[in-house]
Amino acid sequence: MMQAAERLVPRPTKVALAVDLGGLRMKNPVTVASGTFAAGREFHDFVDVASLGAVTTKGVSLNGWEGNASPRIAETPCGMLNSIGLQNPGVRHLLEHDIPWLESIGATTMVNVSGHSFQEYVEVIEALEQSQAVHAYEVNISCPNVDAGGMAMGCRTDSVERVVSMCREATARPLIVKLTPNVTDIAEIARAAESAGADGISLINTLLGMAIDPERRRPQLARVVGGLSGPAVKPIALRMVWEVARAVQVPVLGMGGIASGADAVEFMLAGATAVAVGTANFVDPQATVKVIDGIADYCERHGVSDVNELIGALEC
Amino acid sequence: MAALANEPAKLLSNEPVGPRLFLMELESPYIARTILPGQFVHMRVNQMADHILRRPFSVYRTDPGEGRVVILYQVVGYGTDYLTGLSPEADPAIELVGPVGRPWGARTGGERADAGRVLLVAGGVGAAPLYLLAQQLVERGAKVDMVMGAQTRSALVTLSDYRERLGIGVECATDDGTYGERGFCTGLASRRLDGGCASDGAPYDLVCCCGPEPLMRIVSDMAAEVGVACQVSMERRMACGVGACLSCVVDTAAGKRRACVDGPVFDADEVVWR
Repeated sequence: MMQAAERLVPRPTKVALAVDLGGLRMKNPVTVASGTFAAGREFHDFVDVASLGAVTTKGVSLNGWEGNASPRIAETPCGMLNSIGLQNPGVRHLLEHDIPWLESIGATTMVNVSGHSFQEYVEVIEALEQSQAVHAYEVNISCPNVDAGGMAMGCRTDSVERVVSMCREATARPLIVKLTPNVTDIAEIARAAESAGADGISLINTLLGMAIDPERRRPQLARVVGGLSGPAVKPIALRMVWEVARAVQVPVLGMGGIASGADAVEFMLAGATAVAVGTANFVDPQATVKVIDGIADYCERHGVSDVNELIGALEC
Repeated sequence: MAALANEPAKLLSNEPVGPRLFLMELESPYIARTILPGQFVHMRVNQMADHILRRPFSVYRTDPGEGRVVILYQVVGYGTDYLTGLSPEADPAIELVGPVGRPWGARTGGERADAGRVLLVAGGVGAAPLYLLAQQLVERGAKVDMVMGAQTRSALVTLSDYRERLGIGVECATDDGTYGERGFCTGLASRRLDGGCASDGAPYDLVCCCGPEPLMRIVSDMAAEVGVACQVSMERRMACGVGACLSCVVDTAAGKRRACVDGPVFDADEVVWR
């Protein structure tokens, strides 16, 4: 039997790479953007999933959702639009099938939590509390592709405060709140999440966009609009991470177009404590480990002995 | 099935072979030796930087000894148009993730691929993903017939391989009547299903169909009417290609299933046609 290419692991380095994301201890600053990595198993032929700072699972709801109609993606210059609609088999399936696997390989696990109502977020967290292998929650109030909950919940300070405070009461574990960039003032939303008890802020989710097939005079997505991700959104994401990092005391998990170690360093300089690789996983299934190595490369070249020195070190 | 790999692939040739049809040969030893009929590869061309996603391609032929895979592709958009300009001399950086997906005959652990009498139905470039299956069936001693449709004679670029390399009986239909019967290959498929296997007239055990979705839906219905099992290879827009992103789902009786890893081959009676 032919052997597959070797499963990629981060190379050894003397740089201290561990970070603390609001109580979530990560062995390096790299996780994945929810929805781009499933629960890790699909990428384990390519990279040692346990070597990531954390695995962020795809968003999970209480009883599962069917998601949106096809076509669900469209490619755009330097990015892609998606309208998956948070298809998921429900929290019970995650607990029975995915969490045990993540635990078996020794992964650090952050579960992305979704709901169509405030109460559903709480019930998902309550279900996950029974597992010791769930190390943190990422509360998704930012998905642009669902009609109830999602982004609609994350655009107003009052609803952000309400859902975050309800989730806060449900758990003592690290609670990271994922924000939508589709707002007027991202810092205001971040402050609302922090005041309601968030241990960290995760941003950005995708930017609302659309694509048209002029030959057919039809939208390319069945749902017409979807979320833009990939290198195209990186400047916006960087700006928002910079704004939010200056507006709150809790750490920031930055994401949006990160495909290399240099990209990740930019986010950390802007104020991110950790970073998530998203669309790049689709382009290169080994992108996560390459980003970890790239951060180490940067630190070695610049005489940085501890990656935490990079956080917010932007000179301007 | 073999583990997935992300394999650097050397471009050996890339030539036009028909109207908007190109044949690309790549050196990709692991995938050439492990891919099963019906599985596909997910291609990345590093220079195509402004369009970042990989492209899924079925594998037409392989040479496991030489470590080569051959892809027949049709130019349909930006990505495939970009591919036509690649040459071995320019030495493009190509990577293939593979072998991806559920092969033909997978539901019954290969039993279907061992079926004694098999009818293959191909529409256009859909002839490519059936070739490795046909080769496997012939090697196993199955009786294989094929009907093939294309817009015009010059688009029947796989015909000689099926007839001469594999010795399979192929009936053809072209939209413009320049070769074989004028019209779609559904008429040929219907008569074959009614008449039974060409060599002995006995009913087929299995129909495998690949082509435009309306063709697959019609063939699926015809196979169901005569009580013959049918499998189809579904195509969807795809991002990750490894089962993570859920962009490529197909509606089935069991809900939305991923074309990349739950397919691309599905049992036709499970597909909810759109």
